[in-house]
Amino acid sequence: MKKVITTFAVLTTLLFGVEIMIKGSDTMLNLVQRLGEAFSTVQPDVTVSVTGGGSGVGINAMINREVPVAMASRAMKSKELSQARSNGVNPVEIVIALDGLSVIVNSKNQVSKLTIDQIGAIYRGEITNWNQIGGPNKKIVLYGRQPNSGTFVFFRDEVVKGEYSTSMRQMNGNAQIVEGVKADEGGIGYVGLGYIKDIEGIKPVAIARKPAEEFVSPKDEKALKSGAYPLTRPLFLYTNGKPKGAVRDFITFILGNSGQQIVETEGYLPVTQNYADRNQQILQ
Amino acid sequence: MLNPKQKKGATLSNKNILILLVALFATIVIAQEPGESELEHNGWFRYTNTSTSLKITEPSVSRFALERGYLRFSHRWSPLFFTKMTVDIFSSDKYADGATVRLKEAYADISLPFIKDFNLTAGLQKHYFGLIYSWDYTHPDKELGDDRGIYSSADYGVTLNGFLPGGLGELQLGVYNGEGYKYAGKYVNTAPELLANLRLTPITGITIGASVFSNSRDNAPYKNDKKGRDASGKYFMNADTANINRLAFAPMAKVAFGPVSILGEYIGYNYTRSYTYYELTRDTAGNVVDSTLKEKTKKYQLSGIDFLPVITILGRKLELYGRLSLWNHTEQKSGDTMELNKDRSFIRYGAGFNYHLIRREKGKPGLAFQFAWIRTQPKKEETKPTDTFMAQMRFEWSSLIKKPEL
Repeated sequence: MKKVITTFAVLTTLLFGVEIMIKGSDTMLNLVQRLGEAFSTVQPDVTVSVTGGGSGVGINAMINREVPVAMASRAMKSKELSQARSNGVNPVEIVIALDGLSVIVNSKNQVSKLTIDQIGAIYRGEITNWNQIGGPNKKIVLYGRQPNSGTFVFFRDEVVKGEYSTSMRQMNGNAQIVEGVKADEGGIGYVGLGYIKDIEGIKPVAIARKPAEEFVSPKDEKALKSGAYPLTRPLFLYTNGKPKGAVRDFITFILGNSGQQIVETEGYLPVTQNYADRNQQILQ
Repeated sequence: MLNPKQKKGATLSNKNILILLVALFATIVIAQEPGESELEHNGWFRYTNTSTSLKITEPSVSRFALERGYLRFSHRWSPLFFTKMTVDIFSSDKYADGATVRLKEAYADISLPFIKDFNLTAGLQKHYFGLIYSWDYTHPDKELGDDRGIYSSADYGVTLNGFLPGGLGELQLGVYNGEGYKYAGKYVNTAPELLANLRLTPITGITIGASVFSNSRDNAPYKNDKKGRDASGKYFMNADTANINRLAFAPMAKVAFGPVSILGEYIGYNYTRSYTYYELTRDTAGNVVDSTLKEKTKKYQLSGIDFLPVITILGRKLELYGRLSLWNHTEQKSGDTMELNKDRSFIRYGAGFNYHLIRREKGKPGLAFQFAWIRTQPKKEETKPTDTFMAQMRFEWSSLIKKPEL
């Protein structure tokens, strides 16, 4: 039945419909694709085409008016804002979900909790063996993203607080990091919450801001929703000016009950009240 | 058999090939290091036809050329450190094989951890002045200041570059060599050029800004082959260098709304050139019996405006544009009188279009076709206008070279 509906939606769009093109964050790719598919069943005349490439690539495409919507797992930089405004593009920022960034290790690794400072020291290359933090005598192998990724930037600014070690393996996406850590007993990586669901061979570590504070697992939904988990970040959609027409309808759908349920189903967190209020002000 | 000039070109060519091989090898080695390397090519294959009063079948210029062949090697060592080198392999009939290589950029860029969104750049780098770096060659010809040789697009120096918060604009402050990237040896002087460049976008779509530079050159190249009698009948012969004091400023504006954008600038450029010459005393047989070193100073005031309105349609595939440029060249004649040099002053206008078969984005190729017509009418009334047609294929590609995954 779903196939029939999808085929019908595509045909209708080809004949009379509207296409919303969205480009950007690989972290958000699966989520926005699901949201797009769900929206097309509600509004069959609208097709949502979603492509990745990284937050920077999506933002550039919006600045150059190639796509009406960019998805980004980081906020726009001053350089990008300056280029956009100079091109007559007025970026409007909508938070559609929250992502808890999970730090993962191989499931055979006995280390199950780390502080932010320890993770930072690991990624700066200052801690190089698991036995320095209570683990086995095994060299730590770092897995991370590439510089065009919003996740790379967020993790650097919030956790590494300096430069990544030059030994970090820069992977194309979250899935590649999961695969890398799964196959590497000394591996450590960082991925979006949506990528740790029901995957064997890896485990997320519990994280605390400071040694004296409580360690919180990214699988603890209550802690995630309350903001107690230290590594949460907003996920954005950017439009040129206040969203209008089909784009506005799509965003309204995402921020509504159905959309936010999909956000949760996909392993992300729904927007908190302060972000919801801010979104409401923008859309008014 | 090569004539002496051609031989010089051939020797240079071999050296250039060696530079390229070294650069390519360095890129491959660097690419093995952590980080991200990029190899990029940007080529402009152009046909140019220049004629008087649209007599295109009787052209004074009719040529095919690779006007630009930028090859860029860059590497991001870390989020805070980036290096880049650009060489331009382009057509040139000065050399035996019809092409040559010119070093265009070679710099290191360090992000400043204590000032957000600011970085320090050192080496042969962009020279931000006027519209030169807002000019993305939507029009295939050069921007007015670049075309008139007022400033170089690149120079050796140390600069502070940054973006203002909230997308308000950008700022560049620099200390440059002042001679431009073409000079690196005999004619480089010790006096630095100071440059400031500010862009503000107070309202989305409206950018205003200005650039200013000041430079004193005490060792500029000057032809020493000029000799003869001066106005008083004395023999003279020029020395081979001149002192030049330069001050240039360029307010600019850009307006962009939807598919329409207009780029405009005013250029003001004042300079004085002081040169030395020998006043020669000859005997009745014509032999030099005495010489006195003298100095002469001449003022120049140059100014111009440049406008480029563009409309982009068909999903950014097609750009239509017009162009209007005015240029006045005045120079000191007798005493303090400034006089317009009508041969070197002109009004220039034209139109054209670009078709982008593939729009380029990072790591992917691009292909565009550009067609432009430009009419230049010198201010000397009796001089007929010249018309230039340009047809250009612009092809660009880049390749991200990543460290092999182990």
